[in-house]
Amino acid sequence: MAYPYRHDKETRILTAHFGEPDARTLEGWKRRGGYDALRKALGMGPEKVVDEVKNSGLRGRGGAGFPTGLKWTFMPKDDRRQPHYLLINADESEPGAFKDRELCRWTPHQLIEGALIGAFAIRAKHVYIYVRGEFFEPAQIVARAIEEAYAAGYAGADVMGSGVGIDVTLHLGAGAYICGEETGLMNSLEGRRGQPRIKPPFPAAVGAFGQPSTINNVETLCAVPHIITRGAQWYRSMGTEKSPGTKMFNMSGHLVRRGNYEFPLGFNLKELIYDVCGGIRDGRSLKAVIPGGSSVPILSAAEIDIALDYESVARAGSMLGTASVIVMDDRTSIVKQVRRIVEFYAHESCGQCTPCREGTTWMGKILRRIEAGDSTEADIETLTELCRNMTGTTICVLSDSAAAPVLSSLRKFRGEYDALLRRDEPALASV
Amino acid sequence: MAEAKTKLGANPGFAGETGEFAHLTESDVRGTAYVGTRPLDGGHPGASASYPYQLADKQPDARLFEGPYAERLEKIRSRYPDSRGALLPVLNLAQEIRGHLTAESMASVAKALDLAPAYVRGVATFYTMYNTRPVGRYLIQVCTNVACNLCDADDVVAAFLERAGTEQGETSADGLFTVIEAECLGACGFPAAVQINERYFENVTPDDVPAILERLRAESAGGGHR
Repeated sequence: MAYPYRHDKETRILTAHFGEPDARTLEGWKRRGGYDALRKALGMGPEKVVDEVKNSGLRGRGGAGFPTGLKWTFMPKDDRRQPHYLLINADESEPGAFKDRELCRWTPHQLIEGALIGAFAIRAKHVYIYVRGEFFEPAQIVARAIEEAYAAGYAGADVMGSGVGIDVTLHLGAGAYICGEETGLMNSLEGRRGQPRIKPPFPAAVGAFGQPSTINNVETLCAVPHIITRGAQWYRSMGTEKSPGTKMFNMSGHLVRRGNYEFPLGFNLKELIYDVCGGIRDGRSLKAVIPGGSSVPILSAAEIDIALDYESVARAGSMLGTASVIVMDDRTSIVKQVRRIVEFYAHESCGQCTPCREGTTWMGKILRRIEAGDSTEADIETLTELCRNMTGTTICVLSDSAAAPVLSSLRKFRGEYDALLRRDEPALASV
Repeated sequence: MAEAKTKLGANPGFAGETGEFAHLTESDVRGTAYVGTRPLDGGHPGASASYPYQLADKQPDARLFEGPYAERLEKIRSRYPDSRGALLPVLNLAQEIRGHLTAESMASVAKALDLAPAYVRGVATFYTMYNTRPVGRYLIQVCTNVACNLCDADDVVAAFLERAGTEQGETSADGLFTVIEAECLGACGFPAAVQINERYFENVTPDDVPAILERLRAESAGGGHR
């Protein structure tokens, strides 16, 4: 989209019609080619739809980057014994990410069309769109679009006269970051606390309501109709070999022109920050960038000349995640922002696993002590030890996510911690 | 201040920066014309969970799940393979009617869905959006997580508290405003993001706060926004 800004260099596919109120309506969406892909998919049959998406190389846009087509092949082929479910993750709540809300509120039919195609591919009879509770406004837009889709016969007992029945249900969450984790989402959908489950069993075997389920992110499903219409080869012509297609880059923080921009994967981070977003606000200089949402390691200003695809960002020691780029200028206190992130994870920890429940709270307290100039070197050792204990030791990765910014900031911005340990006046004043 | 107010009037979906989309009206941004008025009985069952469960008008003593609300309850329940699946949407409905969830409300929800009251409380208290005590006519939630924090969200919280005349988590004496800090609202490109009941206000600076509160007071005096 680029909303509230656009840039000439963008490749706008998912975001082509952002800012066009008419594109929300069924009629408006059809005028833009909407639902042609669903018709085509119904004619192809489930196997060919899965193959096309597999061949496109589309990878999940919720953060993990798992190949979508491959995920779909994990579902049982036989749906006669057990109902299958497609769950759509619109629980967008990773600090830095603000793409799914935009997709829901500007192009609800793009999502519903992708959802119907996905459900057809995995032989699901029911789609649940799990929208985070705070997104009342986008949810009401999606609700209206669901009603339009039913009225037009695109959803319901006989999708486009194909004899295939697919129901679509909107489900609102109630404020819990952890429900964005796929098994936490399933528990929440079932009317339980949103606590993640131990895997295996994996959702394709035992998912929502004990039945085979697939969970896809909003942005992932929004790409599907375009792939069906224009083909896997077209999709592969954008992006890199291992990370094909376009991606929404969520640009926030101290930028001149913040917003959502769509580019092929592999777009250069430095170019994105300086050319597309106009550089750093107020003529300041860059200090640090979080490239993939609050749960990924921080990059220093010297590390940003990298391609934004899954492999390149991993090579640089971080993760692409949701491509949510948080930019911090030279006045930023890294310790304060890391503490804010850690306190978020402490608030959102579901409490099942001790390393996470205790570790996130403990880290927050230590970081507050450091900020206040009331700390010693021993605290740094404790922080490091906590991070070690919190990585790879829990049911889900919330714990690892809380540790990543702490460890990476200790490695790259140790000077800021040291200045606070020394009770440096300017350092204390900056937090 | 005058400038901030003009911007607010032009496109209040954002309090401030509208970028290249300054021509869009508030209805364009929020989609209000498209959504229309949602029927109280929930409309199509697939869309029946689409209500904002933080409304300005609250009826703490209303009976739950009567008339159109009973219809909506049935529609919601019809969408899940078991009655427990309907728990979150039905809790949302109870809060939509009464404004917050009392132990008695949770017991009613438990009865309606054939669940144990203790189970319902255990689930409800896991989630942050269920108010276990009354809130003001407008629940103002200011995101102070990292992306908004970098853009001075702490000052926006302070401005709301000062102008509304309340303390964090408390309600102003006129019953209008409850102000709290929120975790990430998913609008990081438009800092500070502020959620007021169901509506988002974006790019909010401390200077925008008086005009937003003025608007809410006017809406309240005029019968209120829903």
